[in-house]
Amino acid sequence: MRNSFVNTIIDSCNKRDDIFILSGDAGLGVFDQFKEEYPDRFLNMGVAEQHTIGFAAGLAMSGYRVLVYNIIPFVLYRCYEQVRNDICYQKLPVVLVGIGSGVTYAPMGMTHYSVEDIGLARTLPNMTVISPCDPVEARLAASHALESSMPLYVRLAKRGEPAIHTNSDFDILKPQVIRQGHKIAVVSYGSMVEETLSAWNCLNDAGITPLLISQPTIQPLDIDALETLLDGITTVIVVEEHYESCGLGSIMANLAVERARSFRLIKMGIPAKFIHAVNNTAGLRKKFGIDAGSIVEKVKSLWNGA
Amino acid sequence: MPNLTEKASAIRNTILEMAHRSKSPHVGSCLSPVDIMATLYFDVMNIDPWDSRDIFILSKGHAAMAMYATLAHRGIIPMDLLEGYYQDNGTLPAHLDKFAARGVEVSAGSLGHGYNIGLGLAFGFKKQQSARKVYIIIGDGESQEGSIWEGAMFASRLGLDNVTVFIDHNNLQGYGRPTEICCYEPVREKWEAFGWHAVEIDGHDISRIKAACGEESQGKPKVVIARTTKGKGVSFMEDQLVWHYFIVTDEHLQTAKGELV
Repeated sequence: MRNSFVNTIIDSCNKRDDIFILSGDAGLGVFDQFKEEYPDRFLNMGVAEQHTIGFAAGLAMSGYRVLVYNIIPFVLYRCYEQVRNDICYQKLPVVLVGIGSGVTYAPMGMTHYSVEDIGLARTLPNMTVISPCDPVEARLAASHALESSMPLYVRLAKRGEPAIHTNSDFDILKPQVIRQGHKIAVVSYGSMVEETLSAWNCLNDAGITPLLISQPTIQPLDIDALETLLDGITTVIVVEEHYESCGLGSIMANLAVERARSFRLIKMGIPAKFIHAVNNTAGLRKKFGIDAGSIVEKVKSLWNGA
Repeated sequence: MPNLTEKASAIRNTILEMAHRSKSPHVGSCLSPVDIMATLYFDVMNIDPWDSRDIFILSKGHAAMAMYATLAHRGIIPMDLLEGYYQDNGTLPAHLDKFAARGVEVSAGSLGHGYNIGLGLAFGFKKQQSARKVYIIIGDGESQEGSIWEGAMFASRLGLDNVTVFIDHNNLQGYGRPTEICCYEPVREKWEAFGWHAVEIDGHDISRIKAACGEESQGKPKVVIARTTKGKGVSFMEDQLVWHYFIVTDEHLQTAKGELV
């Protein structure tokens, strides 16, 4: 997913000379090709996140399309006020490329996890938030980032994620049906879609076919398109590698109340507690009940009553 | 060539009127950088044609009245726009919003932001081989922000000799003197150690301000440590901590304007 995103950016550099990449002393090897081909359009900003975001805002004001690459806490948390004031308040086309969504960096520890970033990014007016699920969505997110005139946060996992989509040409701002189904909808984003698809395959073998949706763009949320897809659905399960207290599930809960929707909403996310457990990503997902097996159990338990 | 001392005095008068009308704080903070801003806007900076102008950033955005008053006197915004400063249903907020008025290049108010944006802009201009220059004013209190030193460490590496940063060193921040609050001095040596060309001047001496702007910086970014006086020009405000926040009354205004004429 990461390489797909970066390669799309590199490809675009052939056609335009206004793209500039700032990295925060991160991404070993990721930009080797870019640096070789476009040495004048890359800067390692060192370990200085506040300065990097302010600098990016200024560089964008001079006419560049600036991408800032770092691990999510260092592109959004440490420098939140710079993102808020310098980029979003000033409505500048800076693209924050964050890697290590959720607990994909496990077992690096809590400082390197990103389990509240969607909640944080959603507090920022003008900010588009995209969390691609596979290389196809990552490529489309990169294309959108290069065309958009607004601030953008792209939430990537790591690399090596499998392709989910067979179709490679769709609107990244809209929810995407991954597998058709009925009664229950499983809505997810980012690397969680890999888990929900794995669960769907298992459920399908047992004759259970929920609707499977990828929702790559969290902000602005195309609720009309989502509601259309959810027509006839009685139970919506939101699965996310994020605190369930401030992620997509919470957004959906608000919208369900505001729009008086009659579906039942189930949130499957990470409890809002600091993570002290030491385990790999799969182990942590299982611990928090957001792995494929947990999703299978949840859907099975709800299927007959749905 | 306009008389810069007269321009500075007129800007100070406008600041006092704005502060009085709006009952807003920060009048002392606004009066200290006025000579620098008048010199930049009426002499040093190229602002015509507008699209290729030099950029001025008031990173100490709480001195917004100085920014608005200078823009108005320079004819960049209409004078009557100032009447809506800090008013209900007004036009201009107490900290800078770039969408509020022409010529406000950067939204600033939280300290340690405008400066870094300015460094990014200057780098962009360099990459574009543009002759445009960037002038930034930061406060001495603002110098305590980590982002200032992150940027300082970086700008010299990039050889941003198209940047001039003025430190409005009025020696009084919100609740004390910088030297009492932290290890502020020796400020010049700090900047030199970070690879900057440092100049130290009386920040109210217009000839020194002009000379500092023209000084060759040997390929380095330039910092001008401008020793100024908070509340400059109004005897009962000068070097008085309370004028960071005090409100200008009818009586204050009358006395002050008499001194500034």
